[in-house]
Amino acid sequence: MREYFLRRLLQSVLVLFLVSLVTFALIHSAPGGPVRIYLTPGLSQEAAKVQAHNLGLDQPIPIQYVRWLGDLLQGNFGYTFKNHIPVGKILWPTVGNTLILMGVAWFLSLVIAIPWGIYNSTREYGLSDQSAAVISYLGFAMPTFWFGILLQELFSLKLNWLPLSDMYTMGQARNILNLLPHLVLPVTVLTLGFLAAYVKYSRSSMLEVLFQDYIRTARAKGMPERRVVFRHALRNALIPIITVLGLDLPILVGGAALTESVFNWPGMGRLFVEMAMAREYSVLMAITLLTAVIVILGNLLADILYAVVDPRVQLAGRGGRAA
Amino acid sequence: MSVSLLEIKDLTVGFPAEQGILKAVDRVSLKMEEGKTFCLVGESGSGKSVTSLSIMRLIDYDGGDILSGEIFFHGEDLVQKSQEEMIKLRGYKLAMIFQEPMSALNPVFTVGDQIAEAVMLHQKKGKKEAWQDAIEMLRLVGIPAPEVRARQYPHELSGGMCQRVVIAMALVCKPEVLIADEPTTALDVTVQAQILDLLRQLKAELNMAILLITHDMGVAAEVADQIAVMYAGVIVEEGTVEQVFSHPCHPYTLGLLKSIPGYESERGKDLYAIPGNIPSLAQLPQGCRFHPRCVPAREKCRLEEPVPHDLGSGHVVKCWLSEGAERAEKRSPDLPADMNQGEVNGGKEVRTL
Amino acid sequence: MSGIPIGESPLSGNSLPGGNPGPEPAPRVMSLGGMAWRRFLRNPFAVAGLVVLLFFVIVALFARFIAPFDPARIDLLTSNLPFGSGAHILGTDELGRDIFSRLLYSSQVSLLVGFSVAFVSVFIGTLIGAVSGYFGGFVDTFFMRMVDVLNSVPLLFLNILMLAIFGSSFVLLICILALTSWMGVARLVRGTFLQLRETEYVEAAKALGTSDWRIITYHMIRNATAPIIVNATLMIGGAILSEAALSFLGLGIQPPQTSWGQMLSNAQAYMLTDPLQAVYPGLCILVVVLAVNFIGDGIQSAIDPRRKVRRPRRRWGH
Ligand SMILES: Nc1ncnc2c1ncn2[C@@H]1O[C@H](COP(=O)(O)OP(=O)(O)O)[C@@H](O)[C@H]1O
Ligand code: SF4
Ligand SMILES: [Mg+2]
Repeated sequence: MREYFLRRLLQSVLVLFLVSLVTFALIHSAPGGPVRIYLTPGLSQEAAKVQAHNLGLDQPIPIQYVRWLGDLLQGNFGYTFKNHIPVGKILWPTVGNTLILMGVAWFLSLVIAIPWGIYNSTREYGLSDQSAAVISYLGFAMPTFWFGILLQELFSLKLNWLPLSDMYTMGQARNILNLLPHLVLPVTVLTLGFLAAYVKYSRSSMLEVLFQDYIRTARAKGMPERRVVFRHALRNALIPIITVLGLDLPILVGGAALTESVFNWPGMGRLFVEMAMAREYSVLMAITLLTAVIVILGNLLADILYAVVDPRVQLAGRGGRAA
Repeated sequence: MSVSLLEIKDLTVGFPAEQGILKAVDRVSLKMEEGKTFCLVGESGSGKSVTSLSIMRLIDYDGGDILSGEIFFHGEDLVQKSQEEMIKLRGYKLAMIFQEPMSALNPVFTVGDQIAEAVMLHQKKGKKEAWQDAIEMLRLVGIPAPEVRARQYPHELSGGMCQRVVIAMALVCKPEVLIADEPTTALDVTVQAQILDLLRQLKAELNMAILLITHDMGVAAEVADQIAVMYAGVIVEEGTVEQVFSHPCHPYTLGLLKSIPGYESERGKDLYAIPGNIPSLAQLPQGCRFHPRCVPAREKCRLEEPVPHDLGSGHVVKCWLSEGAERAEKRSPDLPADMNQGEVNGGKEVRTL
Repeated sequence: MSGIPIGESPLSGNSLPGGNPGPEPAPRVMSLGGMAWRRFLRNPFAVAGLVVLLFFVIVALFARFIAPFDPARIDLLTSNLPFGSGAHILGTDELGRDIFSRLLYSSQVSLLVGFSVAFVSVFIGTLIGAVSGYFGGFVDTFFMRMVDVLNSVPLLFLNILMLAIFGSSFVLLICILALTSWMGVARLVRGTFLQLRETEYVEAAKALGTSDWRIITYHMIRNATAPIIVNATLMIGGAILSEAALSFLGLGIQPPQTSWGQMLSNAQAYMLTDPLQAVYPGLCILVVVLAVNFIGDGIQSAIDPRRKVRRPRRRWGH
């Protein structure tokens, strides 16, 4: 178990290192390159040269990379080009806002999708199953931002039930009562998107398991159907679901950019889009790396969960099945 | 003849398909007695598993329907029971083990948990007591260090060990009937023999009836008291092990016997194989279902389905060749020379395999 | 269609000429492809998808003749006309551009992006997957780590980042989308190759002195063809959605070119005055992507009917 986990941890670090390498290379291939990121704007050519030297920007690229990495590890993401603000200062507040939005939507979609998928797997092609299939098809084919706009038009503009955008209403206390109505629409959009995938996963994973021999064994033992489904099948069905949830994390985080833009939600995704328009590379790099860290941590967590649910994993680390 | 413990009467089981309902089991009848082993033999696809799953009423979960017939257990018809009522019998009075021991065990629970579960459910015992029973049962099926093994997961055990666990799981509540669907097919030959020995010994100890399903005549010869040969959903020959092995009357039975290694006296000869394949349920031949593969088939076989003939003392054959034959010993004159060749001495010789 | 060995399952060894590097006997392949085609035609959703897609293809091809107005023509005198304003069937936007005409022209962008991205990324993915799977070792490790990297960053972010760095142009957009969506095909092809690498006929082909390249092209790729086609079809839908998203965010298609995503971002700004403006482009995207996905599913179940075999109907107690 520990070896398995350590190996996965090592792999994660390697991937993270590669992500940083790729990001660095991308930025360096940008017109203007790193000079644009780190130099105080508006300097004379002479002064810029001096500053570039002081910052090490005239050194060979590999050395620059190592220094950049070192800075990152110390939490120094660089400065914005325009106002020379530390990147961390504008980045960190958005992270929490994104986590609130994503967390709520993700939690809701899982809580709905897994039981629904299980139910559908036991009643294939029933009404509930067919509706889930329709939702899945729509969820996969519909542009989420369009769905968001439609919801805004209906519930904010026409019916005037919910706020149009933003996280809090201006001029009011920033508390949960202020937050909740703002959450409803973006969470609905995101939840529908996740739901489309998760109902499908949970149904097919459960179906796969329900046809396994050990399920028949459980029935042959006289287990009531409820126990067969919720004890014998569910735990096995969770194994692939956990894997897929881990793998889907990047899509999840990426989806935030669109929903946040539509609803003007002050999160990481919207910041990324804004900074892309402004060509603020240092912020873009920081967010890219940060999301990679989040994704990789999520995958690690999925691995741990996986090992908790599936006893076979513990041995995989030691290489193969014991006789 | 003692009162039968389990009696199947004219059981017909179908699966809905595009072509209509396909009958995987067609008017099958059999009787099982206390403390005896009944063997159901036939090639793969002949309907043995469907028959056994129907007895357990597990066929419902595989999409099958019991179309007609009765299954009497202690005089009660299992076909009429609801799943809720069946749950109380399954794993308690009626137990079943399956072909693939590795996949028959749930990979995410310990072996002990899986055995104890049935005890807790049926005998309403506490967890501790149930575990004691489980460990006891593991010891009985010959697993060394059962206390340790009980806490292990299926993937930590070998195939033979898993099958012992599966047997322990089935027998932990001391059932009256054990249905074993090809319990040794997936195992090595040496392990196969051990498992058969174990079943024989447990049968005596627990005084249960066993319905052993196999496609291997050699296995049947070793353990059976009574044998039924099944082909394409129907029982074509039935009798005691003595009757069927010493005086096989159905060409299919004969073919199966001839495909046992060492059955024919001449060694070094190629192993016999019945020509052709078992027909698909959607395209069952008219008349006798075996006729496309049957050497001595006649015109009548193509047109009419043979009716069962009792050759005396319960030796029943479904073949037109046996029509009018009064005694099991008497050979039909129509049997061609090549089917009669080689003294049929199966019973005893096979036992020494 | 009949030339593509669609009906072959990836691992049906017997459909492969043992040790003979020449092309496969055509008739058998054709009949299997024909069978798949017939199965496809029996699937109402797939056929509907095909019809809808063809409709959009025709619209895109003939947009110039169908469109009543120049989509880029600005006429502030007739701006913000509502639905059903005479010649402007669906009205006009804030610059007086005809919405119906813009919708028609946008279909060109969506379909072109969808098909090109699918094509290019299948090309890249097949190449990388084949090379990885065939040669293994360092090459394989290198590309698989690359897949890991791409799978641990939100691809939308990566697309935005690349567009921000290299600027937005139509060709660049296609390249960037293709560069970030080849991983599925690569995995698939690599997997097939790993399974096939050890099989007899490849050994035999090697023994006969067939070059590596020939082995790859003639023997292995055709075994992965069917799943690749399915994957490519689904990729079309993904690319259309990505383009719409990027254009919506203002990083994709730039004016005076028009695309459904761009129209949506426009419509959002004017949703108070003309809420219907947001409906049309989104609906178009939804319908096209649905159609493509139905076709993908249809191909999937046509070439691999075993998977679609209805599982037994089950009853749950009673
Ligand atoms: N769940 C099922 N759905 C449809 N047909 C089935 C199902 N189970 C078994 N059959 C059919 O019933 C016939 C008998 O199968 P089975 O009882 O498993 O044979 P055996 O156990 O003798 O090898 C076969 O033709 C098989 O195709
Ligand atoms: S009835 Fe005819 S075809 Fe059938 S087994 Fe007997 S001889 Fe053969
Ligand atoms: Mg069977």
